[in-house]
Amino acid sequence: MNNYILLPVVGVGMLLIAALISNMIKFEGGANPKDAGKRKVVFWLFFLLNPGVAYAVGLLTSPASGIAKTKHMDSLPIGLAIGVVVYLLIGFIVSKAMKTSKVGHWF
Amino acid sequence: MANKLFVIGIGGTGMRCLESFVHLCAIGMFDNQEINVLTLDTDATNGNLERVRNLIGLYSNIKSGATKDGGTPNNNTFFSAKLNLYGFNTDYNSPSRSTYRNISRLTEGESSRQNKMLSDLFLDNSSVQEFNLAHGYRAQTHLGSHLMYHGIVEAARNLAAGGDVSSAEKDLDEFIQKISKAGEEARVFIFGSVFGGTGASSIPVIPTALSDAMHVRSQGKSPLDVTKVKFGSTLLTEYFSFKKPDQGEMATKANSVIADSSFFPLNSQAALQFYQGDPTVQNVYKRLYHVGWPLESKSMDKKGANKTITGGATQKNPCHFVELVCACAAMDFFNATDLKSEGKAEYLFRTGEFENGAFNFKASDLVGNQNNIDEKFIDKLGAFLSLAHITLTKNEAGFGNKGFLGLRKQLEDNNIESYSTVPEKELEQLDEYMRHFGYGFDTSNNFNSGWIYQVRESIQPGNFIFTNAAFSKSLKDLKALDVGKLYEDENYHWDKGGFMSDSYQTFVKSLTKLVMDDGAHLVNHTKEKFIAHLHDGIMASQSKR
Repeated sequence: MNNYILLPVVGVGMLLIAALISNMIKFEGGANPKDAGKRKVVFWLFFLLNPGVAYAVGLLTSPASGIAKTKHMDSLPIGLAIGVVVYLLIGFIVSKAMKTSKVGHWF
Repeated sequence: MANKLFVIGIGGTGMRCLESFVHLCAIGMFDNQEINVLTLDTDATNGNLERVRNLIGLYSNIKSGATKDGGTPNNNTFFSAKLNLYGFNTDYNSPSRSTYRNISRLTEGESSRQNKMLSDLFLDNSSVQEFNLAHGYRAQTHLGSHLMYHGIVEAARNLAAGGDVSSAEKDLDEFIQKISKAGEEARVFIFGSVFGGTGASSIPVIPTALSDAMHVRSQGKSPLDVTKVKFGSTLLTEYFSFKKPDQGEMATKANSVIADSSFFPLNSQAALQFYQGDPTVQNVYKRLYHVGWPLESKSMDKKGANKTITGGATQKNPCHFVELVCACAAMDFFNATDLKSEGKAEYLFRTGEFENGAFNFKASDLVGNQNNIDEKFIDKLGAFLSLAHITLTKNEAGFGNKGFLGLRKQLEDNNIESYSTVPEKELEQLDEYMRHFGYGFDTSNNFNSGWIYQVRESIQPGNFIFTNAAFSKSLKDLKALDVGKLYEDENYHWDKGGFMSDSYQTFVKSLTKLVMDDGAHLVNHTKEKFIAHLHDGIMASQSKR
């Protein structure tokens, strides 16, 4: 599949996993609950992991040889960049749109 | 016609009943009401009096905004009633007023011989006329009724004369004027026992004393008609005991009379005969609620106590279930739509299920079931107990931390920042109230039971609405407590919100999803809005069951 489509999809997938984990983190009690901070950490951790995972996916889906491989590898950095931007952009929009939910703690 | 509500707490037992009443106000059983509260005692230093006055002070601080005026009545929230506190105590502190003999000046005036003979006829010359009145009437109700009546009328005379008027007299004046002004709309409920000293002495004479005081104060211009104003009270018979005084304790004249709790059943019996037959009582009271405790009276003696506590600051007895019953009687009286405006008093009672040596109380045993008030009581008391565990247990205010601050932080983390302006000190007052209501560990990690824990302990091994786990005293069990599973009836448990979740998650989610309607709650300032938000969050969690 085209890196320009595949790697943003990976970014969205990473975002979904971050959202799932964020939702699994329980609201804490105490005078200074830490749960909101933990969700923020999860979001940025997956942000950092995203390029690595996307790169690995790019490599795994690369054709074995030839021009197709060259083209695939050439598009990988741009696909990665699009994936990162998609992760950040959708993450920001979702967080602001659902600001009183657990993903609202991302931003 | 809107009723104007008045409550009078008299003596140590009356103060503890009043304490229960204040907690009913805190849980939200008196929505949109302004209630005038008078504490009436002979013993200004009494521990129970101090405790309830501090509690009402704290309640009013919680309701107050920037103006510190005790707030305004709210609707469908916690702390919804506005309480106006007044206090009056008869003054027996100076040497010239410390005993009946001194206060009555029996040896002065033209009729001194007749006065002395009359006094000796009714009041024992060597003991009743001589004991120190500073700790109350010590179960000498014949003396107490006489002195309480005259104490109130004497205050009215001072007020009418002007000059050196004490703040207690001003309080009494304002309270009586409010009743007089309310006229037929006034409902006055009186808390006190019929078996002890101050309360038992005062209940029969208070309506007449207030009426006569108003007559004196206004020089006959503004009457307080006891047949128009609706008075109600409890006939609370003995339910606690304390160490029998020994001869050594009674050796001095000042202590020649000490109440002996072994006579409380006899006192109660005599009092009930009086209340059943006395025409004055029957005509001035609209309703009298029989409240009693058929099991063995609970000892109020502290561990290792070797002296009978007659009163003073050390008299801080724990709360008992019957005091909650008395507070519910007041609620019934205030809510009654069928109060007779004329005729003799009605005598009411309810009973609870008693099996295998223990009571198993239902909400309807306390509050009836008219207009589903029992369901409202279950919901509101359960909601406040949940809030207590949310703040004391989950947010650790019971262990010395700041529970409400944590809740606000949770809301702020969820981008709800409307309550950020409430000062931290005011949030700590809410924590303090919750410790009075629920529990608290002191700095040495000793567990201190609050009101609802004490009430629960008083009926054990019996049951009342909630599970034993809801009253755990162990740190480990408290940490494991689910705030949405406090009820015995599982139908009232909150939805825990799926896999790996618990009721606290349900609560915070409800809290963050709410759209608040300040107009419906009649809330005016930010702290009231915050309290209403927490109330609605719990109610929304309760509805998910």
